Amino acid sequence: MYIYTQKRPVMAYISLREVCKVYPNGYCALKNINLDIEAGQFIAVLGPSGAGKSTLLRAMNALDPATQGEITIDGVTLNKKNYRKIRAHIGMVFQQFNLVDRLNVMTNVLVGRLAEHSWLSSLFYLFPKTDYQIAEAALREVDLLDKAWSRADKLSGGQQQRVGIARALAQQPKLILADEPIASLDPKASEEVLKLLRKICSEKGITIIINLHQVEYAKQYADRIIALNAGDLVFDGSPEQLTAAKQAEIYGTTAEEIYYEPELVLANA
Amino acid sequence: MNPSWYWPTPSGKPPLTAVLSIVLPIAVLILTASTVDMSYNKIFYALPRMLDFAKNLWVIPDWQYLPQLGTKMLETVEMTLLATMLAVIISMPLGILAAKNASPHPWIFRMTRDLLSFIRALPELVWALVFVSALGLGPLPGIMALALVTVGFMGKFIAESIEVVSAKAIEGLESTGCNKLQSILYAMLPQAVPDFIGSLLYILDHNLRAASILGLVGAGGIGYDMVMSMRLFNYERIGMIALSIYALVTLLDRLSDVFRQKAIGGILNVH
Repeated sequence: MYIYTQKRPVMAYISLREVCKVYPNGYCALKNINLDIEAGQFIAVLGPSGAGKSTLLRAMNALDPATQGEITIDGVTLNKKNYRKIRAHIGMVFQQFNLVDRLNVMTNVLVGRLAEHSWLSSLFYLFPKTDYQIAEAALREVDLLDKAWSRADKLSGGQQQRVGIARALAQQPKLILADEPIASLDPKASEEVLKLLRKICSEKGITIIINLHQVEYAKQYADRIIALNAGDLVFDGSPEQLTAAKQAEIYGTTAEEIYYEPELVLANA
Repeated sequence: MNPSWYWPTPSGKPPLTAVLSIVLPIAVLILTASTVDMSYNKIFYALPRMLDFAKNLWVIPDWQYLPQLGTKMLETVEMTLLATMLAVIISMPLGILAAKNASPHPWIFRMTRDLLSFIRALPELVWALVFVSALGLGPLPGIMALALVTVGFMGKFIAESIEVVSAKAIEGLESTGCNKLQSILYAMLPQAVPDFIGSLLYILDHNLRAASILGLVGAGGIGYDMVMSMRLFNYERIGMIALSIYALVTLLDRLSDVFRQKAIGGILNVH
């Protein structure tokens, strides 16, 4: 294990202490993770499929709560009672966008405001004027204001992902978790989304933690790179410190698996 | 058959489970058909009598009856629409409670499911008998019976269409800190709308036919006239009644096809 140790800041914005996640089937997705993240950084999380990248992000907003350890965000420690309260100010961007296809773009963005409202106003699908202003600002930020009244599923993949980002922005978050946001997008849309997230981080000072499969993108956009493998934290450092040798260690060698060809079953039939 | 043709299984033979699940039920049904008096002789000898009945229908319709037929058909349609509307209003919350992913608690889910299947256990006609004996003759007990059974079905349909909704959108909402009701309203219901419309149109079709026989037990609609003219061998009316029910059901079918296309194609926007 190569754990890059850095000086811990006095009061980290996010801190994970001995965080473990064991799924009900016994699979251990996170093993004793200790991590401190400063506010306003753009952090890329790398690692092969199944390394625990998504689990790590989903533990931070308790969509998949950690089974052990302590997660503190902005001075508040996650427990069963404050999940919803904590999520209200953490945006999340998903690989599959996770929009409501049949609702229009504006409503999808306004969803980011729901946590602030009572059940009664939600019941009639009503939002105050201030929410529309916040949603419009978010849509302007992602350059989709002209699509505000189209149905979400009529948009292209890249546009839908930007709606996802606008929904996160409408929450007026201090932290955005992006779980492989470009894995379903073409290269051009991928770059657009990454640039957008980078801009949001730099201009608004919103902390962004992003899961990526592309090492190059991570090196290009991130302030700090973290890598997981089989639930262990195997790298933590600056983009410059991620050398080719370190990369090989993170991903391991899987050549045999890739070139393995199953026997042709029908050949002998 | 060309010997180089195979089924897409490892052995090239049809899968045993598939063969058994087709052959076994058919064999069992053929062997047990006699218990329900399934006799080919009987069917064969009844043919001339059925033809007689069909021949008897070829008479000049009883035009005098036309105004009453119109009123009764209108009553049938009104019963159908009222009962369906009432049922949709009541079954919406019940359907949400009976959906596994929307229900606030597993016990509530189980209880609502059981309540709905209890309502469905008896057909409209039996419920109509109950309501007729409580409220007297007329369309009102018919509407109540129809609405009740429709709640049973519609509640189940609504629950099922909520359960198959994509979990991704729900997760998207939950990630923003929404409460359960908000994720039901904004993620589950909008996505279930095409399914709702499909079930609603099916239920309307079903209810129209159900409403047209409720008269059998004195619960309003065209059914009473139909049964009376059957019993009195009033062929001049039977043909008219059957034709007008057929015309109405077909009309509704066409309308619902058009509506369904628009709703599912997204021309009818929810918000």
